[in-house]
Amino acid sequence: MLSLSVENLSVSFPGLDAPVLVIDDLKIAAGEHVAVTGGSGSGKSTFINMVTGLDRTASGNIFWNGQDIARLSEGARDRWRAEHVGLVMQDFHLFQGLSAVDNVLLPARLSRVADRAMTDRAHELLSSVGLSRPNQKIDTMSRGEMQRVAIARALLRRPGVVVADEPTASLDGASGEAVGKLLLEMAASAGSTLIVVSHDQTLIDRLDRRLTLAAGRIKTDTKAGERAQ
Amino acid sequence: MIRFILADIKRMWAGAIVVVLLVALATALGVTVTLQERALRLGSARAADKFDLVVGAPGSETQLVLSSVFLQAAPLPLVSGDVLAKLAADPRVAWAAPIGFGDSFAGYPLVGTTRALISNTTTGFTEGRMFEKEGEAILGAAVNLPLGAEIKPMHGTAASGGETHAGVVYHVAGRLKPTGTPWDRAILVPLQAVWHVHGLGHAHEEGEHEEAGHDHADGDHDHDGEAQHAGEAAHAAEVAPATGETAANSATHAEEHHDDHDHHGTIDADAPIMEDYGTDAPGLPAILVKPKTIADAYRLRQAYRTGGTLAVFPGEVLTSLYSTLGDAKFVLSAVAAGSQALVAAALVLVTVTHVAQRRRQIGALRAFGAPRLSVFTIAWAELFLMVALGICLGFLIGLAAARLIADAFTGQSGIVLPVEFTGQDVRSFLGLLIVAAILAAVPALLAYRQSPAKALRS
Ligand SMILES: Nc1ncnc2c1ncn2[C@@H]1O[C@H](COP(=O)(O)OP(=O)(O)O)[C@@H](O)[C@H]1O
Ligand SMILES: [Mg+2]
Repeated sequence: MLSLSVENLSVSFPGLDAPVLVIDDLKIAAGEHVAVTGGSGSGKSTFINMVTGLDRTASGNIFWNGQDIARLSEGARDRWRAEHVGLVMQDFHLFQGLSAVDNVLLPARLSRVADRAMTDRAHELLSSVGLSRPNQKIDTMSRGEMQRVAIARALLRRPGVVVADEPTASLDGASGEAVGKLLLEMAASAGSTLIVVSHDQTLIDRLDRRLTLAAGRIKTDTKAGERAQ
Repeated sequence: MIRFILADIKRMWAGAIVVVLLVALATALGVTVTLQERALRLGSARAADKFDLVVGAPGSETQLVLSSVFLQAAPLPLVSGDVLAKLAADPRVAWAAPIGFGDSFAGYPLVGTTRALISNTTTGFTEGRMFEKEGEAILGAAVNLPLGAEIKPMHGTAASGGETHAGVVYHVAGRLKPTGTPWDRAILVPLQAVWHVHGLGHAHEEGEHEEAGHDHADGDHDHDGEAQHAGEAAHAAEVAPATGETAANSATHAEEHHDDHDHHGTIDADAPIMEDYGTDAPGLPAILVKPKTIADAYRLRQAYRTGGTLAVFPGEVLTSLYSTLGDAKFVLSAVAAGSQALVAAALVLVTVTHVAQRRRQIGALRAFGAPRLSVFTIAWAELFLMVALGICLGFLIGLAAARLIADAFTGQSGIVLPVEFTGQDVRSFLGLLIVAAILAAVPALLAYRQSPAKALRS
């Protein structure tokens, strides 16, 4: 379980006069479930890339349990992310031609950390996301099923934080809702901190806290209780 | 990792097959040209191996070699018969043997020669024995006729509208072991018989001449009247009676006296073979000479390059022929290189599109926790595997193609072409693999360096 503290973060891209993301001070407690919303181009994905160390910026600090990942080398950030972050993306990034369980295990295998116990866990995770055929090829799965495999992959190494960027946006209503619900349950049972970028109101309503971005800045930051009014 | 790479290649198998085949074809092209060229050089050199020195009448050195060593049918000027006697008596000569050609049977050239030449240039018989009588013939290893078969010689070749010599029949007495030379496709008969067929050189056995005992009618052969002149012209080359008369002269002669040129001789099948040729022997297209020493060879060549004779070392003639053909080889190699460059360009295109797609996907692996090095390795191994497979396949296809061509060539010419890989090929194979390994590293490096955020963005 990880806590996040972002300080003085500013992200700019060459060719753009204004920074696409500016966060002076943001804290997310360990185990907190946070929704991130905002219009298209408001900087949500940029935020995700920064806090997961997928991208880096020259200015600002990103502390996870006190460790500033913005100061890590690229290789060290990769290793840190592999160990602590479970990622779920809008378009799955699963590998065709491999089975569900092989997809779940692929990053761990490439990192040479997949042992017997982890293989067993992969099977357990697949059955707990509701997939009964771990050896089914990804190519033959529905989109909802694919996202379930992606969720199992994200949780394999018991990450301190699960980060999802629009996990239900490419799914139809029913399966999107099921996947959103599943993501929450799985993160909760793993005790992971959860950050979900989403426009899905039912999913957002289920989370503890809601950050709204506009033009790269945090416009509102509301807790579940406050929203009721 | 291996499983992932294989699954990945399988997933885009159509593209992978295109890459593999492109590489294979480009490689095969170069390999075939190289193998074939080398085999031709080696094969013809081996065919000329037993032919130390060839003496003929002045004319084209190349044609003398092509006709005597490679039995290529062509009119040759004739060297006077006494040259053979002179050579046979020369102390620098181990043996000298005449070669007379021009007739054919069933598509095989008939070569008139002596037992000395046969036993000195071959390794013996697979069946039967040497000819002992004028009416006997022996077969090269590749002649598809049985022992005891009847051979009715024909002027020139069937293709050029040759005509059977009426009443002339040889019986096959033996078959030689393979030599890998055009002589494997030859039917060898006593030279004396060839002369007699053409009404020459009867001096030795006048008086014993019998009535033709074997009158096999030639009714089963087509007479192609139109082509007959050509047949006569070729025919004239080896039977021109006068010393020093050129083929061209004989050809004219043949046309003028076309009618009485047919069947003016026959053989005495049971006559013993006389191989001591006197100074009155008829003209000959070529004489094969085995000098006693290398020094003798050079001296003999010197001595017989003037005064109505031409002496050549076939090996040397071939070498100069290759240097002329070197230009042709250069053109061939340039064509091969050009098409290889085209294939390489196509390959780069395929690779670039492949990598653009793969980079995103493979790069995304990093986002999910795969180490950078494995991302590099996957991208590299995928490409290298396909290209390496293509190269291996290319070498096999190239070898197979060269073998096919060589076999077809052997079937036609009798020259066995030794198509095989050498150390040089192994080196170029390894060189290609190294180049492939380096080239495959370029896109892999791009995948390695790509930021995972960029890889995820779609
Ligand atoms: N690599 C980049 N180079 C230039 N501009 C970028 C890059 N990545 C994102 N942007 C810009 O930053 C802004 C925020 O993008 P993003 O974080 O993806 O928005 P969203 O909230 O839709 O996820 C957009 O205007 C986008 O065009
Ligand atoms: Mg986005």
